Amino acid sequence: MAYRAEPPDGGWGWMVVLSAFFQSALVFGVLRSFGVFFVEFVAAFEEPAARVSWIASIGIAVQQFGSPVGSALSTKFGPRPAVMTGGILTALGMLLASFATSLTHLYLSIGLLSGSGWALTFTPTLACLSRYFSRRRSLAMGLALTGVGLSSFAFAPLFQWLLNHYAWRGALLLVSALSLHLVACGALLRPLSLAEDPVVGGPGAQITSLLRHGPFLRYTVALTLINTGYFIPYVHLVAHLRDLGWDPLPAAFLLSVAAISDLVGRVASGWLGDAVPGPVARLLMLWTTLTGVILALYPVAEAPTGLVALTMAYGFTSGALTPVAFSVLPELVGTGKIYCGLGLVQMVESIGGLLGAPLSGKGNKISRWAMAAVFYHGGCRGELI
Amino acid sequence: MRALQGLRGPRAPSLPLLLLCFLAALRRSLEHGLSTAAPFKSLPVQEEMMTKYSNLSLESHNISVTAAPFTSLPVQEEMMTKSSNLSLESHSISMTEHSNMPVEKNITLERPSNVELICQFTPSGDLNSVNVTWKKGDKLLEGNYLVNATGGILYTQHRVAVINSKQMGSYSCFFGEKKQQRGTFNLKVPEINGQNKPLITYLGDSVVLMCKCQDCLPLNWTWYGGNGSVQVPIGVPVNDKYVISGKHANETRLKITQLSEDDQGTYLCHAIFELGESEGHVKLVVLSYLVPLKVFCAIAAEVVLLVAAILLFEMYTQKKKKPSDDGKEFEQGEQLKLDDSNGIENSGPRHRKNESVGQ
Repeated sequence: MAYRAEPPDGGWGWMVVLSAFFQSALVFGVLRSFGVFFVEFVAAFEEPAARVSWIASIGIAVQQFGSPVGSALSTKFGPRPAVMTGGILTALGMLLASFATSLTHLYLSIGLLSGSGWALTFTPTLACLSRYFSRRRSLAMGLALTGVGLSSFAFAPLFQWLLNHYAWRGALLLVSALSLHLVACGALLRPLSLAEDPVVGGPGAQITSLLRHGPFLRYTVALTLINTGYFIPYVHLVAHLRDLGWDPLPAAFLLSVAAISDLVGRVASGWLGDAVPGPVARLLMLWTTLTGVILALYPVAEAPTGLVALTMAYGFTSGALTPVAFSVLPELVGTGKIYCGLGLVQMVESIGGLLGAPLSGKGNKISRWAMAAVFYHGGCRGELI
Repeated sequence: MRALQGLRGPRAPSLPLLLLCFLAALRRSLEHGLSTAAPFKSLPVQEEMMTKYSNLSLESHNISVTAAPFTSLPVQEEMMTKSSNLSLESHSISMTEHSNMPVEKNITLERPSNVELICQFTPSGDLNSVNVTWKKGDKLLEGNYLVNATGGILYTQHRVAVINSKQMGSYSCFFGEKKQQRGTFNLKVPEINGQNKPLITYLGDSVVLMCKCQDCLPLNWTWYGGNGSVQVPIGVPVNDKYVISGKHANETRLKITQLSEDDQGTYLCHAIFELGESEGHVKLVVLSYLVPLKVFCAIAAEVVLLVAAILLFEMYTQKKKKPSDDGKEFEQGEQLKLDDSNGIENSGPRHRKNESVGQ
């Protein structure tokens, strides 16, 4: 096997970007648009909405906690088999869900089965991507992650259309067919052998060495803190706007504005991350500080123009920090250990994500934004170290 | 007797007083019979009440002979109580001389009640020269409506005691002779909400059709299934296939199990009120599993083709590299043909082929 000393930074790498783009669309886009199905499930199974939303929660939890498994498998066998298996598992989960007769059935098929499928696809792909690029890593990451935002726009109306024409059973069947494209995406991930690979060894050795790596651990904690604060604004923005007297339609529109600026932020930050010399971690610090400041300003802003401007800025900065966050990791642990590193990070930061939303539920309006800002600053401090 | 009409709204404390006042007058009118009960001009209603009235009066006569002078009293009391049980609703329309469009107001009635219809009219000229008439549908209503003129505005009021479906319909007030201004009150029963979008189900599945009424309580619900124009009541021979239920009185649910193609079509849910009937539509479409399955298979085939194409392309590009892969260095000419074992810096001795492990 021939080992490269450096990532190719182009060439087949752009096909990997394409693959990552579609994968993030198919994994997170589907997850985000699943709310459309929930309305149907509530009516079909006559269960309260809270119980139905557990389907998504289980799916996300399995995806994040299963990330190390996906990483370990892709270290051992290469990303291609892992992602293709993941794609088949996801599609299988949706297929079985179309025959569901009870809510538990859905928990197991979509939550557990599709969730583990997602775990085997997302992390290995991003890790593979960071192996293919070094100079243009941030840009590649940014471009790939735009898939999430764009698919959220496209899939929600698509799912609604499917529901209107095929009812939820037929629609789930077709979403399963859609998820099969993950297998095609996996086929695009040609394995890359880098010089560091034989040195770092198998997955077990990698994980133990990572757990002893100081900067890695600090970075993980920092990302967890950021992740805790990440979801709070999205969860509470609409409620905050309604409290201020906004109508539901303009409030929803403002969320779309945030999503668009999120998209722009990702690409811009990706380009910036590569254009600016020096460690990428500094940029991460910049974006997290900015986000924290913006969030702290929220309770103060009352006028509509102020809120719109703040939301646009928040969308931009929070979108900006995502590709950079992923780019810092390879610099930290090296491209050899990237699979396992990313898996571990995802798993730990999911704890933050899980805790963030309920924690913010307690306390009043102002404290929520303050909490989010604090989390971001904490993450920022982590970077300083 | 205009005064009586004006006082027909219930005011309990003054009721005995009223009765005492009107006793003599009523006795006289009763002795004269129906024909002299001229003031009560909303005829159909009055007729009905009189009939009820006369039935009752017969009874009361039998019961207590000594209370002869007061024969009318218990009946009148009953009539008064009956109408006092009915709620009073008041609706008004205002018009000006220059409004070209006829003004309409929809009134939804569920239970028998007294309805007061008021039209306000602002004429440009003389108030007193304006002619006021009321019509129910096309039929002219005689007398028995108040006309009042204050501060340049003409008010007319018409009271209807709505007891059953005969009193429902359109009531119109007309101002003027030649250039008539018209205001219409449409008395209707509440509307039933079925489902606007067709329900899609599959063969062998079960479905629940629901009809709901906002803020109203029908007396009874019935379901009709229609294939074409024939409406057949459902659930009359009680069987397992159709189950009619409803958690609250304002909704009804029809559960159909073991769906087949014959179950397709439009279902009607019929709500019966004291004042009439109303219905809602639910459309049911039954598909077979093959419909989405065909699409699924088409997409799955496309994915298989994609994967095959990608892998074949890779094998092809690797094959192309094979003959020239013995120690030579390659330029990164064609980016797409970049192979794992290719690279400018990599001039080391390792030229082993890329292992296709599990690819």
